Amino acid sequence: MAKEEYRIIEAEAVVPYELALGGTVSNFFDYLKEEKIMGKRCRKCSRVLVPPRSFCPRCFEEMDEWVEVGQEGVVETWVYINMPFYGQVIKVPYVSAQIRLDGSDSGLTHLIAGFDLTNVNKVREIVKLGGRVKAVWSKEKKGNILDIAYFEPVK
Amino acid sequence: MGRAVAVIGTGQTKHGRRPDVSYPDMVREVIMVALEDAGITLKDVDGVVHGTMPSMMEGVSSTHLYFAEAIGAVGKPIMKVETCGSTGQSIAHCGFFWVASGMADIVLVVGSEKMNEGDSQATMTTVFDPYFQRVFAAGAPGTFTMQCMEWMYRFKIPEDKGREAAAMVSVSNHDNAMDNPYAHIRMKVTMDDVKNSRIVTYPVRLLDVCPSSDGACAVIFASEEKAKKICKKPAWIKGVGFRGEESFFGESDKSIWPSATEAAQEAYRQAGIKDPLKELDVAEIYNPFTYQEMIFCECFGFCPRGEAPDYVLKGTFKKGGELPCCPSGGTLCTNPIGATGLIRLAETVLQVTGKAGARQVEGAKIALSHAMGGVDQFNGVTIVSSNL
Amino acid sequence: MQRVAITHVAQSPGVESKENLHDFTYQVNREVLDKAGLKRADVGCIISSSADIFHSGLSCANAFDWDGIGAFMKEGSRAEESAMSFIYACFRVLSGHFDTVLVTAAIKGSENPDNDAITPFYGDPFYLRPVGMNESVVAAMQMRQYMDRYGITEEQCAKVVVKNRGNALFNPYTHIRKRVSLEDVMSSDRIYDPLKALECAPKSDGVVSVLIASEDKAKKLTDKPVWLSGYGCSLDHFIPGDRNLLDGQLQAAAGRAYEMAGISDPRKAIDVAEVCEPYAFQELLWCEQLGFCKEGEGGKLIDSGITQMDGSLPVNPSGGVLAMNPYTSRGLYRIAEAALQLKGQAGEHQVGKKVKTALAHSTHGFGGQCHSVVILSA
Repeated sequence: MAKEEYRIIEAEAVVPYELALGGTVSNFFDYLKEEKIMGKRCRKCSRVLVPPRSFCPRCFEEMDEWVEVGQEGVVETWVYINMPFYGQVIKVPYVSAQIRLDGSDSGLTHLIAGFDLTNVNKVREIVKLGGRVKAVWSKEKKGNILDIAYFEPVK
Repeated sequence: MGRAVAVIGTGQTKHGRRPDVSYPDMVREVIMVALEDAGITLKDVDGVVHGTMPSMMEGVSSTHLYFAEAIGAVGKPIMKVETCGSTGQSIAHCGFFWVASGMADIVLVVGSEKMNEGDSQATMTTVFDPYFQRVFAAGAPGTFTMQCMEWMYRFKIPEDKGREAAAMVSVSNHDNAMDNPYAHIRMKVTMDDVKNSRIVTYPVRLLDVCPSSDGACAVIFASEEKAKKICKKPAWIKGVGFRGEESFFGESDKSIWPSATEAAQEAYRQAGIKDPLKELDVAEIYNPFTYQEMIFCECFGFCPRGEAPDYVLKGTFKKGGELPCCPSGGTLCTNPIGATGLIRLAETVLQVTGKAGARQVEGAKIALSHAMGGVDQFNGVTIVSSNL
Repeated sequence: MQRVAITHVAQSPGVESKENLHDFTYQVNREVLDKAGLKRADVGCIISSSADIFHSGLSCANAFDWDGIGAFMKEGSRAEESAMSFIYACFRVLSGHFDTVLVTAAIKGSENPDNDAITPFYGDPFYLRPVGMNESVVAAMQMRQYMDRYGITEEQCAKVVVKNRGNALFNPYTHIRKRVSLEDVMSSDRIYDPLKALECAPKSDGVVSVLIASEDKAKKLTDKPVWLSGYGCSLDHFIPGDRNLLDGQLQAAAGRAYEMAGISDPRKAIDVAEVCEPYAFQELLWCEQLGFCKEGEGGKLIDSGITQMDGSLPVNPSGGVLAMNPYTSRGLYRIAEAALQLKGQAGEHQVGKKVKTALAHSTHGFGGQCHSVVILSA
């Protein structure tokens, strides 16, 4: 057989899931419905983690103390995404960032938006390392991380 | 050959439906139990081995990354080992070789699965190649039923006799699970219950088949020197074997299952076992299907080919029999796949160290554990003993 | 203590293959056995690193790969990432149970969705995946912090692409063999600003097989055994926001490898390095953490020319991951290439200097969550 005649088969593997949130994540999402951003404090190292974990990744101890953190925070780093790919959950272009909320000791991964995102150079003038951003809430709450619609730069 | 290796601690979650915890939290639960059992802390652990069924079961790829904290692996060397259903034995073997190599003294091995979160049969179908087999595959039951039919035909086992013996395997495993606080399915069943249960894939009925479980297991391996220092009663690894056949189901004779046979022979050779029925005190066989447990008994040399139903019917493998199989209730009553093969090992460790509680086989000193996986393709076997 | 050596290496041709994964794998494994003069039956054990479902559409891909890797009815296993597979194979030999182990990594990127469509599955389903995380997103965030903290310039990062793609021209086993200029890189699409398209690795087809053996056996099989002299691995926290992206676990991994190999000054001791750089700037950051230069001086390192093919510490003479990214195989590729340099068998991309000690590095996970470092010596 001539090499040109190699053929392909189209295949896709799709499987549905029902993933248990567990207590900590469930409560965090419930608080989001009330427009509160809650972290958990480790009694051993005193760090406050947002998003909250049920145990401290460093001390390996249960984290049971809920702490409300600020709805504003500092941009630790960010990226302008203009690359479409299969299964992408957010439509391009968009800005993804690590945001350290006031009172938190870890970076929360979320979006920065609320302004014209089409031109990267203009976005670079608006989004800054170390700049402050503020949570903008979704009107309709679904009990997931996107109940915070995005963070917008504080003027 | 190499360094002697022992198991110094084991842990299991309460297996079953666990919507109460997120997956990483369930995994952390089990390593805490194992560390406490061994009387060590994470600081003492030199390396971590983790495994599950394939990523599709979890909906997360490379779970060692996601579970970095839960498996206690932050700042440590990590190995992620997976061989489908036989993962539990494969991760144990990795822990064994890691310590035997001298590259680590204490290794924590963790296997886990949350079967209730994904679609296990849809996942297992994706184990089959996409060209020839996948369109016909019906997850695990389809494959295992074909194998059981082949076995009965090959050895001219009358259908009634096979049915009767398989029902007894189910009754015996369910009885045993009543003694195991970790087991998922804990209910008494009768021969009639099994024979009248719903047909899944003829002749296999619902009570011939394992459940879908959430659960995790952790086992801690240590070098001879460490084990003697830390642990009053370690269980020593005496033999390990793993074999696999082709990925095309039809290529090998599954009624005599060469990979299961040779994996056991390899482990026996290392452990110096010549007559397994006499020398082994207990066996924890990976038995997701009743009929399959009988095929394994033959492959492992517990009885001649084609005669497992007779041995089952005369009670050889029951609690109190000559070679009790699956005193834990086995995979038939608990199957969080990525953990299942490791649970088999953990159960044999409990048996040979006298820590198996109500399911203890009295005086057990040497035991076999096992797991299988792939397209009815892989078999792994481990022999543990109370003596070095 | 028992020693373990690489005796032979085989790689698939760099072009995208029209063979199915079964046949593609078989051809390379057959080649490595032929080179060693061994039959499949002579090999003690087989360890694979095969693509998982998200990289192949196959669950438990080693079930499918089993025949192609030559493992029928043999002792064997699979570790997910290929540097892990190599180390697992070394454990098996060092344990004294096996004289020879064949390690194979196989993947066909050309059959898969983009890496950016696959790596979101590293993310947890609750916090990271719903906000669009993937490996490139975290890398771009890491790059922005790196430039900001140390004054590394975009041009310095782009130079890595020019160097590695230049080296790739001399490697027939690599995928992208086309020279690029600094201008090409700088003007390529800002797909994850500040990361540009040419600074991100492609997706590639690649099968690589490495035969390893115990000391006695290795000396019989080859007159140029390549010895494992150091190994280190370390895993970081999962959530990128919990970590310092500029100071992860690579120093810990490298420290373990150097300690085992008895290396105190890596800059002097290492003759050539194959560093896993799916994103251009990462080569600079990783070189710092491997101790090839001081913290924050990765930019100066590339400017100095030391890491060029004819420099005093060539980095990625093979062209690296930027020229060839067979995703799960890339760690074993680094190890194989380091071994070829030590054997003096790297062909046109053999470095000019004499190679006595080589370093191979592998990383996977967001922003380098897991690092492995292997030191090989002649």
